[in-house]
Amino acid sequence: MRWERFPAFLPLVLKSKLTYRVAGLALRYLGGRMSPYQLAAVKGVMSELGDAYSGRKPVIFTSAFVPTEIVYGLGAVPYLPEMWSGFAAAFGVSVRGIDESEAKGYSQDLCSFHRCHLGLEELSLLPKPSAIIVSSHLCDGGRRSLYAHSVSTGCPFYVVDVPYLMTDSSVRWLSCQVERICEDISRRVPGLSLDGMARAIENSNRARKIYLDVCQLRRNKPAPWSGSEALNYVFAFLSGWGSEWLVDFYANLGKTLKQRIEQSNYPVPQERLRLLWLNLKPYYGSPLFQYLAQWGVSVAFEEYSYVYWPEMHERRWAEGVATKMLSNFGWGPIERRLDAVWNMVNDYGVDGVVQFDQWGCRQSNGGARVLADFLREKGIPFLELDGDGVDPRNSSVAQALTRLQAFIEVMDARG
Amino acid sequence: MITVGIDSGSTATKVAVVSGGRILAAVKAETGTDPALTASLCLDDALKSCGLSRKDVVSIVTTGYGRDLIPGRKKSVTEITCHARGASQSVPGAKTVVDIGGQDSKIIRLDGAGLVLDFVMNDKCAAGTGRFLEVMAGRLGLDLKEFEREWKAAREASKISSTCTVFAESEVVSLISQGVSTSSVVRGLCDAIASRIASMGRRVGIERPVVLTGGVSLNGGVRRSLERVLGSEIVVPPMSVFMGAYGAALIAASS
Repeated sequence: MRWERFPAFLPLVLKSKLTYRVAGLALRYLGGRMSPYQLAAVKGVMSELGDAYSGRKPVIFTSAFVPTEIVYGLGAVPYLPEMWSGFAAAFGVSVRGIDESEAKGYSQDLCSFHRCHLGLEELSLLPKPSAIIVSSHLCDGGRRSLYAHSVSTGCPFYVVDVPYLMTDSSVRWLSCQVERICEDISRRVPGLSLDGMARAIENSNRARKIYLDVCQLRRNKPAPWSGSEALNYVFAFLSGWGSEWLVDFYANLGKTLKQRIEQSNYPVPQERLRLLWLNLKPYYGSPLFQYLAQWGVSVAFEEYSYVYWPEMHERRWAEGVATKMLSNFGWGPIERRLDAVWNMVNDYGVDGVVQFDQWGCRQSNGGARVLADFLREKGIPFLELDGDGVDPRNSSVAQALTRLQAFIEVMDARG
Repeated sequence: MITVGIDSGSTATKVAVVSGGRILAAVKAETGTDPALTASLCLDDALKSCGLSRKDVVSIVTTGYGRDLIPGRKKSVTEITCHARGASQSVPGAKTVVDIGGQDSKIIRLDGAGLVLDFVMNDKCAAGTGRFLEVMAGRLGLDLKEFEREWKAAREASKISSTCTVFAESEVVSLISQGVSTSSVVRGLCDAIASRIASMGRRVGIERPVVLTGGVSLNGGVRRSLERVLGSEIVVPPMSVFMGAYGAALIAASS
């Protein structure tokens, strides 16, 4: 679905309870056309959207790397504005959102995911948050742009200050912050409490365990899941931890991938080469992945699908959440990211690595040179692909295809 | 065996008819709005000029931005691989290929035996491309061929600080209004493009011999500036503009 012109009725549709009732009915009848895992994700998201836009449950905005276990644990709906910029791109309204934010005076230098959600608020497309939690790790633009939502909606704003290094004292310090922030939110936002924390952590651990089996299945050659679709489901990986639906989603995904392997039913049956994909991808209609498949190339795994944190203790939930944040390999010394990427290269048997250089994404692009040298030294071809995940005006498909195709030709020539 | 390479570039379409590694005929025309038609006309012209017809052609490989739009191709290959192949055939042992085309520029690192080790392309703007030079030449009222003469005549290079085509054009206008000589501006422009290419090149490492291909290879001013900035002699092989098409034809012969 794509709108050439922004439909003025969209905010009303999003906020109407009828929309979610109709969507629920439609899913009942049309859900059979979807894979069970797709249905699980759509049901989960639709239910949460209904809760968020109708005001049935308090909504907590978070930046991308805040563990959503604490939001589910509090009894709220997590809403990641950056993630919804991706959805806006898929539905063809991201450009309108970006234009709105630029008209408000936001610089084009800001990551387009952030410009887009700032504009979506101007267009009344975001639900009203009861609180906003951001983290200081990885994405600086997210922290600051979400503050703007706090100012415009008047809701409390919390910054989780994540220490740079993982030590026992940094875990203690961070877990204290997490606990105090959650306690404060539970006091200030009616309807929220800490009662659901253990349950959310339990859900997260269950989903994690099942997901690790999914990752094991993804090591299969040919790849049983298309990287492009996996990158669509990054939203589940970022916003579903702690929910019931994520458990269901990964359980069904595992079943589907197992079936595909048993039936040799692969997205790229004639797989010649396998890639690891770093960072995000264009979420508007882009033919990049179709071309890759046409050339016999699978995206076997993605950086944003990598489980980097250990299982959490259900009662010591704040410590578990703190450990999860501190375990993020994108934070701290760059060697952590190099190690994680190298593990992925080996675990998934990839032939090359592509980093999508999202416009304005300093946390990822800043280390690209070091990563390139690291991989080249190990004989792994590496391509930096400049692009924009949500603004189709900001890159040329022809140029991106030439770079990708040339990269594949270089790998082919090496044999 | 007669093979054909068609380089359907953003600005110009180049066709090379090749046999036994030798270029029998080469034709170039502006790509215009119909890349397939332009390629077809160029192909007919090229074949006619060496007394051949389409029936004589064993295989066609296409390259350039319009590579997937040309009918009758055996396959399409990127400009990176084609320029690498053509340049390493023309200059045996070539280690670096600098290809500056109408709307993009590329630096390709080779292993000396024709294998591409790495490559880098300019970002999405026109900085460091033939289009940049075209715009500046238009503003200065010069033919691109006159760039080398002006470059040689310059006592010093004007400082063009912006790599953005639009901003650089404003700088050129400002320099002209200040009475700065055309030759000095030309040399400044050539230096600007050369320094842009050199900084791109450092990402993949530049090793000699360095081969310059693409439309801008005929611009002696840019070549001289590049030699100065890179501190290396630059080889411009015969038919350098056709290097992509030549490489495509060689690939057609070997696949």
